[in-house]
Amino acid sequence: MDNSACRRDSDIQKKIDHEIRMRDGACKLLAACSQRDQALEAAKSLQTCSTRIMAYMSELQRMKEAQVMQKVTRRSSDAGPMDDRLPCKGKVAISDLRIPLMWKDTEYFKNKGELHRCAVFCLLQLGGEIFDTDMVIVDRTLTDICFDNAIVFTDASPGFELRVELYSCCSEDDYSAGSTPRKLASKLSSSLGRSSGKKLRASMEPGACSPVSNGGASPLLLPVPSVPGPKYHLLAHTTLSLSHVQDSFRTHDLTISGNEECSYWLPLYGSVCCRLAAQPLCMTQQMMSGCLKVKQCGADPQSWTKVHAALKGSSLFCYHRQEDVEANVEPAFTIAINKETRIRASEKDPQSKVQNICVSNQYGGEEVTHTLTTDSREDTHRWMEAFWQHFYDMSQWKQCCDDLMKIELPSPRKPAPATPKQGSLYHEMVIESSDDLSSTVSDILARRLQELELRSQLGTSPTWMSLFEEDNPKSAGRPSPCTSRLSGRSPRTPHRFPRSPVSPHRCPQLGLLSSDVSLTSDSDSQCSTSPCSHHHNWPEPSNFSLSSSSPSRLRPRTLSLDAKLSTLRGRGYGGGGGTFQCPCQPPPSSLLVPIPISSCSPRSQRSTQTTLSCSSSTSSNSSSNSEGSHSPESSEGLPFSRPSPARRSLRNLRARLDPRNWLQSQV
Amino acid sequence: MSFVPGQPMCVVAQQIEIKKLRQGDHLILGFSIGGGIDQDPGQNPFSEDKTDKGIYVTRITPGGPAEAANLMMGDKILQVNGWDMTMVPHDKARKRLTNKKEDVVRLLVTRKTLEEAVKHSMGYPNQCH
Repeated sequence: MDNSACRRDSDIQKKIDHEIRMRDGACKLLAACSQRDQALEAAKSLQTCSTRIMAYMSELQRMKEAQVMQKVTRRSSDAGPMDDRLPCKGKVAISDLRIPLMWKDTEYFKNKGELHRCAVFCLLQLGGEIFDTDMVIVDRTLTDICFDNAIVFTDASPGFELRVELYSCCSEDDYSAGSTPRKLASKLSSSLGRSSGKKLRASMEPGACSPVSNGGASPLLLPVPSVPGPKYHLLAHTTLSLSHVQDSFRTHDLTISGNEECSYWLPLYGSVCCRLAAQPLCMTQQMMSGCLKVKQCGADPQSWTKVHAALKGSSLFCYHRQEDVEANVEPAFTIAINKETRIRASEKDPQSKVQNICVSNQYGGEEVTHTLTTDSREDTHRWMEAFWQHFYDMSQWKQCCDDLMKIELPSPRKPAPATPKQGSLYHEMVIESSDDLSSTVSDILARRLQELELRSQLGTSPTWMSLFEEDNPKSAGRPSPCTSRLSGRSPRTPHRFPRSPVSPHRCPQLGLLSSDVSLTSDSDSQCSTSPCSHHHNWPEPSNFSLSSSSPSRLRPRTLSLDAKLSTLRGRGYGGGGGTFQCPCQPPPSSLLVPIPISSCSPRSQRSTQTTLSCSSSTSSNSSSNSEGSHSPESSEGLPFSRPSPARRSLRNLRARLDPRNWLQSQV
Repeated sequence: MSFVPGQPMCVVAQQIEIKKLRQGDHLILGFSIGGGIDQDPGQNPFSEDKTDKGIYVTRITPGGPAEAANLMMGDKILQVNGWDMTMVPHDKARKRLTNKKEDVVRLLVTRKTLEEAVKHSMGYPNQCH
C-alpha cells in the first residue's frame, strides 16, 4: 500500500517538475517574443501550465492527507472490509465545442468602429487531466467561437465533473503594462479616448481578474511569475457531468464572469454547444470470460452446451471455442445482459453440488431463460460477482450503457495546404471554390478511362474512336452537320484522326471543355485528339475526355500549376458553386447517341431548356438530368471564343445566383 | 415533413455518421445536395411540400462513404454536426459538409419511409424483435 502511494507521489512530483519547467520556458518565450500572436500562444501555454501545476499540487495535497488518514484508521479499529463496489472507469470525449456570440447588430452588420479582437481558448479539466484547445482569434465578424479539437479523457469515473473554462485576452495594441509608470498611465488614460483608455487601465490593473489566484491553502505554493505581456482572463465556465452525456450535440449554459468593462469581454450568448460522449469500460472491454455450460429453459435437462463465454457491453457472447473470441468469429449465440435482465441463483442442482445461475430476458412479450453452470463453486461465485459488478456499472453509467457511443481518437491532422498567396482575384476564385472537387471526380473518371484503355488493347483505339476516323463509313453521316460550323472556327480539317502523337496546335477553345477529366490533360494534348469533337461535343464532356485519353497515354505530361488552373477554369460546367453536371462514370455507350446539334446552336442566351436537352444526351445515369432545369453552367463556358477568366467567373457567379436554377453541389 | 418556419416540427429522424474519404488532398463524402433558402423550392423533386427550402440529398455516389452509411437519395438533412440545415443558404450547407478539419460528419436526416416504418412497427406490439 505504501509503495504504490510513494510511486504515485513521485509520479505527481515528476509531473509538477515538468510543468514548472514548461512554465519557465513559456515565461522566457513571452519575454523574448516580439510578435503579438507568438506572445498570445506563449501566454496560453503559460496559463495551461499554471493550471496544471495547481491541479497537481492540490492532488498531491489530497494524497498526503489521505495517507495520514489511513495511518490513523489503521491504528484504530479495523475499518471493515472495503465492501463498497466501485464502478468501472471510462473514456469521456468532448468535441465540436461551439460558443455563440451575440453582437449588437450595429456592430455586426454596419462594421462600425475599430475591430475589437480577442484571443480565446478553452481549458478542459477532468480529474487530474487538463487539456487546452487551440487558440482562436475572435472579432465581430464571427458569429460563433468554434473549437475543432476533440479531447479524450481516459480514466473517468461516472461521477466525473468536466470543467470547461473559456479564457480570453484582448488582442490589440500591445499594452505592455509593466513598463509604464502609474502616473503617466493615468494621465494617458484620461487623455486617450474613453474605450482605449479603459482598456489601458484594465490591462495595467494588477490582477483583479488574475487567472492564477493564490487563494489555495497549499503551503507548497511556488511564486507565480508576473510576466509582462498578454494575460488571459477567465471569461466563462461551466461544469459538465454524466447527465450531460449524449450521443448527439447538446447545448449547455455558461456562467459568465467579467463584465463589459473588462478588456477581455466578449458578448457571449450564454451557452455552449458540444458533443459529450462517454465510453465506459464495461461497454468496450471484456469484463469476464471463462467456460460455462448453458442450457435454455424449457429444453431437455441434459442438453448442456459447453461454451466459452465473454461478458462485454450489454451481452454475454458465447463461442464454441476460446480461440473464436480472438478470431473475431461470430459467436454461437448471444445472451443479452442489460437493464431488463434478471439474474438469480437457482436452487442447487441435485446432481452436482453447484448452484446454477438463471438469466431471464424479455424478448418481445415472452420471457426466455438461460441457465448457466460452471464446474466449481468458486467459478459460479466469480460469475455472479461479475454480473453484479456489470449491473452496478450499468446503473452508474446510465445512458452511456444503452448503446456504444463513438469516440474518435483525434487523428494527427495534416498541416493545412498552404494556399499560394497570389494577389489577383482570379486566382483566389479558383482556389477558394470547390472546383477542386471536380478534379476529384476527374480522377475517378480518369481511372475509368484507364480501365477502358486496358480493356481495349494497347495501340488500338476504342471502338467509338472510329467516329472520328476519316475513312469510316459509320461516321460519314455525322460530321457533316458540323462542317458548316467548323469552317468558321478552326482552320483544321474536321476529320483528322488522332492516332499519331499530338501535334503542337494550341487550341484554346478546347480548354473550355471538360479537359480536367484526364489526369494528364492540358491544352496541348486535348486539341489534337478530336479536332471536330469540340464543336458538337461540348455538351458531352465525357465523350471528349475519352478521346483525350489516347494522346495522354502516348504523351504523358506532368501538369504545371498554370495549365491545371487554366483547365479548371476552362471547364464547360461547374462554376464556383461546384455544381456538378457530368456524372462520375459515363458509360461509353452514350457516346454513340446522335447529338442533337441543332439544339446546341442557340448558345447566346442562357436558356435552361437548351441545357437540358444537350446534357441529357451525355449520359443517362445522372440524376441531375432527370430533374428540373439546372444551373446552366455548361452554357457559360461554352462560347466559342474563350472569354477572359474574370468574366467567366463572374458569369459563373451570376449563374449561381440566378433564382431560376436549382443548384446542386457535390460534397 | 412540411413545416411552418418558426414553429416547432415533429419528425422521425435518423442519425447517420459518415466518415469522409480522403482522396489525395480532398475529403469527399460521396453525395450531392440540393436546396437552400436561396434556391427555388418548386424545383426540388424530392420534397413533399414544394415550399420546403431544406437541404435534400439528390444523388449518392455508388460505393462512396455516404452509401456505406446508408444515406439515401431524397433524404432531407436537418442537422450537420449540430449545425442546423433547415434554414440555410445552399452554399452555407455545402460549406458545413466540406469542412476540411472534420473527418466525420454526423447528419440528422429524415425521410418519409422512416415515419411509415415507425407507424408500421407500432401497429404490431407483440412482434418478436
